[in-house]
Amino acid sequence: MSDFAGMEDLLQDFLVEAGDLLSGVDNKLVDLERTPHDRPLLNEIFRGFHTIKGGAGFLNASEMVTLCHLTENLFDLLRNGQQVVTPEVLDTILSATATVRSMFSDMERGGQPAAADASLIEALQLAIAGELKTGLKLHLKENIASAPVAAAPAVAVVKNNITHLSDDGIDWHALYAAVTGESPPEVMDAQHVNVLLESGAIPTLADVPVESIVKAAVGRRTTDKPGYQGPAGGRRDSERVRDNSIRVDTARLDQVLNLSGEIGLTKNRLNALRSDILNGKNDTDTLHALDLAVSQLDLLVSDLQNAVMKTRMQPIGRLFQKYPRIARDLARSLGKDVEMQLDGEETEIDKTMIEDLSDPIIHLIRNAVDHGVEAMKDRAAAGKPEKSIVRLEARQEGDHILIIVADDGRGMNPEKLRAKALEKGLISDEEANTMDERQSYNLVFLPGFSTAAEVSDVSGRGVGMDVVRTNILKLNGTIDIRSEQGKGTTFVISLPLTLAILPVLLVCLNEQPFAVPLSMVREILPIAAKEVQELGGRATMVVRGEVLPIVTLAALLGWPQERVPDYGVLMQTAEQSFILAIDTFAGREDAVIKSLDDFRPKGVAGVSTLSNGQIVLILDMKELLASMGEQRTVTRAQLLLEDSPLRIAA
Amino acid sequence: MSDPKMKFLVVDDFSTMRRIVRNLLKELGYTNVDEAEDGVVAMQKLTAGGFDFVVSDWNMPNMTGIELLKAIRANAQLAHLPLLMITAEAKKENIIEAAQAGASGYIVKPFTAATLAEKLAKIFEKLDKKAAA
Repeated sequence: MSDFAGMEDLLQDFLVEAGDLLSGVDNKLVDLERTPHDRPLLNEIFRGFHTIKGGAGFLNASEMVTLCHLTENLFDLLRNGQQVVTPEVLDTILSATATVRSMFSDMERGGQPAAADASLIEALQLAIAGELKTGLKLHLKENIASAPVAAAPAVAVVKNNITHLSDDGIDWHALYAAVTGESPPEVMDAQHVNVLLESGAIPTLADVPVESIVKAAVGRRTTDKPGYQGPAGGRRDSERVRDNSIRVDTARLDQVLNLSGEIGLTKNRLNALRSDILNGKNDTDTLHALDLAVSQLDLLVSDLQNAVMKTRMQPIGRLFQKYPRIARDLARSLGKDVEMQLDGEETEIDKTMIEDLSDPIIHLIRNAVDHGVEAMKDRAAAGKPEKSIVRLEARQEGDHILIIVADDGRGMNPEKLRAKALEKGLISDEEANTMDERQSYNLVFLPGFSTAAEVSDVSGRGVGMDVVRTNILKLNGTIDIRSEQGKGTTFVISLPLTLAILPVLLVCLNEQPFAVPLSMVREILPIAAKEVQELGGRATMVVRGEVLPIVTLAALLGWPQERVPDYGVLMQTAEQSFILAIDTFAGREDAVIKSLDDFRPKGVAGVSTLSNGQIVLILDMKELLASMGEQRTVTRAQLLLEDSPLRIAA
Repeated sequence: MSDPKMKFLVVDDFSTMRRIVRNLLKELGYTNVDEAEDGVVAMQKLTAGGFDFVVSDWNMPNMTGIELLKAIRANAQLAHLPLLMITAEAKKENIIEAAQAGASGYIVKPFTAATLAEKLAKIFEKLDKKAAA
């Protein structure tokens, strides 16, 4: 039973909005570390906590209110210059934001958040009293003595104000009572500060370890462990709560409304024309008007499709803003100095994709900070600046969105990667020998691959990178690695603009068209008998020095092969590149995918209707390949029908 | 004075909060509600006219609730508008500052529809008295 019965809508709004707010706060905190006296920045952070507190109050999330209230009080002192930002104070605040975030997840699951760690609350109270120092335990006695002194000036100010105001001849106490309908509260005193300090052992920051903050911020999934074979990227239930709402710019909604209005008008026009035509009116004018109305409808519908798609587009900045904090915490726990640079935050991307990209990007950043970037002393030795840069960039290129995670670290060593994969039994000797640099880099995406000699808590568990690739492929995207030793590594994720429309290549077998995702297609080439070679019992072709196996579409579908395929489509999947042999191809098309709800034949991702009304199956190549196992390979003779049973039979 | 058709302006930078206040007002039968995300936007909407009541948050970027209040009171056209100040603080200095600047009422988050109704009733009562006098 949810603690928020009757308030579900409100809760969702709150979680989305407050979540954004908190990410903003996190980013500002990273900035604050560099400019600790920035008054406007302190003010914005103050307001962030204040606003979250206000919302939490209405949801009766009292523990969140308490925590935000304390943090807000601390920022009130900081922004007024009554306290200064020390590393200890900042750590405490960062830990507070991490706790608020975990409270959000509690609430997403429909429960009231549990109380914040007592040590955190106490650290905040100490920071407010200006007594937060490492090694505090040792000097506890003296601190108690000095604490009331520290709190005294504030009290004096309040008292002063009151007496001063009373001099105006106005009874402010009565006014207060009139305005609030309550009697004035007791003047704040140093009493509670005393109580706090005398309440026994006060934890130092050592009790709020950075690791716990990092873990809370990064939040590993339970599925995120070696040997986990379940569906990658399986969402937690809690995340689904967040999924169903979207914030849309009203201008965009207005455009949709506008277009649907126009379509309505055109529909009326068509209705009128239909009755005219049915009544035997088919002169040139009528037909011309019909032609005009249909072309107008055509234009309007495609505009509407675009406009609707746009409502799903969100700036990727909303996703990006949580990463600098994660990078900072990680770098700190690893004793590295990493600056995160964001670029292209305004780039827009389908909302579903934003959510599904969150985890993969975290992995890539974690990887860049942990493995990509060298330790400070190694950087100094290599003549590089101690501070390393991790760049996260998004931009649109044609009908694709590119997301780039680049570090200026040590780069990847293809030799080492191959040796590691070989040692782990992930590839064979033969495979290792034929791999080029790019293929070697891609080894990191194999399940169970880890380059760190020692498994660290941060990344290096040999999971993650394969999940990254799987998740990207699920979005019909690709991921590529570029690396230069000593200079750094760049991961480039390429994604389609939307999931609703899938660009496909239509390939034909026995006159029947099938659609394959264009994102997997590298190129189309003719299959000439003289270029087909047999290698290890498999038909292969050499394309620009790369030996690629040939797989026939007929074999994949389990159909008889009735003629020698004319064309090969060079396809790239997560695991491999191969040539798909087909009879011919029928062009490319932007398919609107219709999923087959309760009936899903193996290897079929969905269906689509072509412009000529024909229904075409969209093939799920990965599943087809997997279901085939090793049978998918054909010999040269089988491919070219040289000694096929068919021919013998014929 | 309390007319269900009267037009409210809810000013808050946090849209969740605007929605909460709007819902509470709806519970009390006030359905004619517009929103503004800070004092600046609020002033624009108010000067355009048609509003009978302002409910404003205190802490907002660009222009805070107290600045908005002062701007309203300094504007001859708007000076008569009742303004209920909402804040998360029950700090005495704040309440006094609001009262001095001419707030019609002060309400501390979180509050229920009943509390809001009570505050509104008090404000209307005062306004009626003023009108009668």
